[in-house]
Amino acid sequence: MWTFIIRRLLQSAIVIIGVTLITFTALQMSGDPTYLYVSERATDEEIQRTREALGFDKPLPEQYLTFLGNLAQGDFGNSLSYKRPALDAVLEALPATLELTLFAMFLAIVVAIPLGVVASLNRGSAVDGSIMTVGMLGQSIPSFWLGIMMIMFFGLQMRILPISGHVPFIMPLLSGDWAQAFRNLPQALYYLIMPGFAVAFYSISRNARLVRSSMLEVLGQDFVRTARAKGISERAVVIRHALRNAWLPVVTMIGLEFGFLIGGVVVVEMVFSWPGIGRLVFNAINQRDIPVVQAAVVILALVFIALNLIVDLVYAKIDPRVKL
Amino acid sequence: MNTLNSLLLAGAVALAAPSLSHAAPPDNTIVVGLSADAATFDPAQISSRDNSNIAKHIFATLFTVNFEGEVTPYLVDETSVSADGLSYTFTLKDGLTCEDGEPLTAEDVAYSFNRPADKSLAFTGNTPGFVYTTLGFKSAEAVDDLNVKINLSAKTTLALGMMSQVYIHCKDSYEAMTPEEAADKPIGSGSYRLASWDRGSQIVLEKVKDPGNFETIIWRIIPEASTRTAELIAGNVDIITNVSPDQAPAIDSSGSAAVAKVNGTRRMQVGFNLGKGVEGMPGAKEIQDPKVRHALQYAVDVPGICSQLLGTECTRMTSLVNPPNDNPELTPIPYDPDKAEQLLDEAGYPRNAEGVRFSIRLQGPRGRYLNDANVVQAIGQYLSDVGVQTEVELLEWATVYSPLLRTKEMGPLFFLGQGGVTWNPLYDMSLFSTPDGATNYQSWTDQRWFDDWKLAVDADTVEEARPVINRMLKLFHEEGPWLLLYFQPDFYGVSNRIEWTPRRDEEIDLFNATLKS
Repeated sequence: MWTFIIRRLLQSAIVIIGVTLITFTALQMSGDPTYLYVSERATDEEIQRTREALGFDKPLPEQYLTFLGNLAQGDFGNSLSYKRPALDAVLEALPATLELTLFAMFLAIVVAIPLGVVASLNRGSAVDGSIMTVGMLGQSIPSFWLGIMMIMFFGLQMRILPISGHVPFIMPLLSGDWAQAFRNLPQALYYLIMPGFAVAFYSISRNARLVRSSMLEVLGQDFVRTARAKGISERAVVIRHALRNAWLPVVTMIGLEFGFLIGGVVVVEMVFSWPGIGRLVFNAINQRDIPVVQAAVVILALVFIALNLIVDLVYAKIDPRVKL
Repeated sequence: MNTLNSLLLAGAVALAAPSLSHAAPPDNTIVVGLSADAATFDPAQISSRDNSNIAKHIFATLFTVNFEGEVTPYLVDETSVSADGLSYTFTLKDGLTCEDGEPLTAEDVAYSFNRPADKSLAFTGNTPGFVYTTLGFKSAEAVDDLNVKINLSAKTTLALGMMSQVYIHCKDSYEAMTPEEAADKPIGSGSYRLASWDRGSQIVLEKVKDPGNFETIIWRIIPEASTRTAELIAGNVDIITNVSPDQAPAIDSSGSAAVAKVNGTRRMQVGFNLGKGVEGMPGAKEIQDPKVRHALQYAVDVPGICSQLLGTECTRMTSLVNPPNDNPELTPIPYDPDKAEQLLDEAGYPRNAEGVRFSIRLQGPRGRYLNDANVVQAIGQYLSDVGVQTEVELLEWATVYSPLLRTKEMGPLFFLGQGGVTWNPLYDMSLFSTPDGATNYQSWTDQRWFDDWKLAVDADTVEEARPVINRMLKLFHEEGPWLLLYFQPDFYGVSNRIEWTPRRDEEIDLFNATLKS
């Protein structure tokens, strides 16, 4: 297993270098960012002075190598718009995004699996049809539209959920203030409901369909028939035998899910005023704040790689056929 | 089963907590919904409008531009100007203090002016950039405890107005700060102090002294326009900015808030790029002719654009200067497509067999100004209607449009909005202070304008320069490098709980906000 982990970590380093190269090249292709950091009436001398001060006058390969060298020391440079270390800005926004993403992943699993199981056990019935219809809608509705509709209905009309905002849970937890974190927990969950559901709706729908088809396949196999023939209760057959085998594809999806959900949080964070990385990156791209974009992409890539590694290890644990 | 019970409990707690949602603000608190967070509170680094709107409540300034658009003393008691107009000596009011109780003296004011200009600190905010460039700031020195002298490199009637943008703070506290502390923990000289800053969420200010009608100001960061509207209607915020016209009916019919509209000072125009950046492009040669530029003014139905696309009537521009400082003899050019066609014929550009006089490209940003994409497309259609076949190109602002603008490669026609002021016509006109100046995006080189510009800036007062200014504005009206559109209307959502009138200059001044009785 250790060989596998080391090999994956080495592969990850290559992935990270690729990620930084692509991000760096894409952002530089959009023009000289110096103009964003000088006044409208700046003279040519002022523009040149700023360009030199920010290092934009150097050849691109040199700028990239400088960036990589600094990256190795955990230095992503200063944010051009926030005037402070880019990594600080990203790490400050990361907990809010993790709260949203993990909550959405939680919903995508705990809601999707029962729905998929129920649909498979009632194949062809109205219940199955209803669940699959909702599933189809979930895969068709854009998350920002769903978010706005939820705000209008639950926030404005019914007034049972907050329209926007965020109460931190992970941040005080990380800073060691556990008491504050748990005092915040009810409010944090309350504020998470709408954005979490808006992010998760697509995944819930997709996972429910996945579980359903997986369950249908497993339920028709010999070992399930044998279990039933042995007189095991239907509940035990479904939960202990069928579902245990059916959720393997779902576990595989979880690793990929994170990347997908991160993509989804950008718009949802904007709609719900959620102070996370998605919003930070959105603003940074608009302002061509290259250090922040690079720091965010690298940090997210690291989180994504780590999560996939964990999923692979879990997969090997729950499926004895898989050898690392 | 225990796990299930825990989940159910967590769900019940969450659902039973509606009382925890944002409640209506208490009477001593005002909440403003902004689209963007502050980047810094270091007075030398602040650069965006949203950022300075908040900072204005933390830092006092020597002068302030009042609601009527006049520059009035704030920290200053008396002003004297040297005979050559290059030195201003200000006597401060007695008993001024900073937020931490430290007396605010002339030395602090001199420090507040000199710190942003310190090249070794490499500040990139509005003060060391735009303000000092326009002001011609050289140095500041304390004469004694109450008198401070500001030295300029050139005489300008813009001096006091530009100085009203320099934030005053105390030397001792800032000399002891790291750059990070200066950015995050400002010690101001104004009515409010920064109580907390949850980045990306909200900024809370607490009142420390008069003036100020609320004990607490909360600036909530709500980037999405429809979410800001929902928060306003729900009564969770009192003022929201950048209301889009399509959301105005929902606010007005909510019963809890109303839309306040003001015709702003931002000058919306179609620029004619007359420079080398577009040389050889279709249409670039034709617009060199002032008669063609004047003809195109008649081709665009500006009132129609305002009513149909901006949902309001606009104040039309007659030149590049904001009222009340514009030339009163000028009237907006009316929509008259027949006249446009006649003038284009006279200029030597008749329609060909396909009905086309000449072709040209019109570029515009998407999402930068109020309903900009639709406005640009409408203008393109109006121009095509009079035979000027217009290819409309909409571009992303930050990554494409802005760099093209700075290198003067836009157009040949390009849609742009430029901020202006109400306190001095020369500020608005200074976009064209030199033929090759950075803000002369149109590369307009009419010598009559630049000869008069020298006369206007050499005058001791605006009143003295008025005849020259009026002559310049008439020239701009008839032969200038702008297709004059409108002053951009700004829409704010205002809760029925409070009384507040928006300013024309996009500044959010909460000192004039009061709770309705």
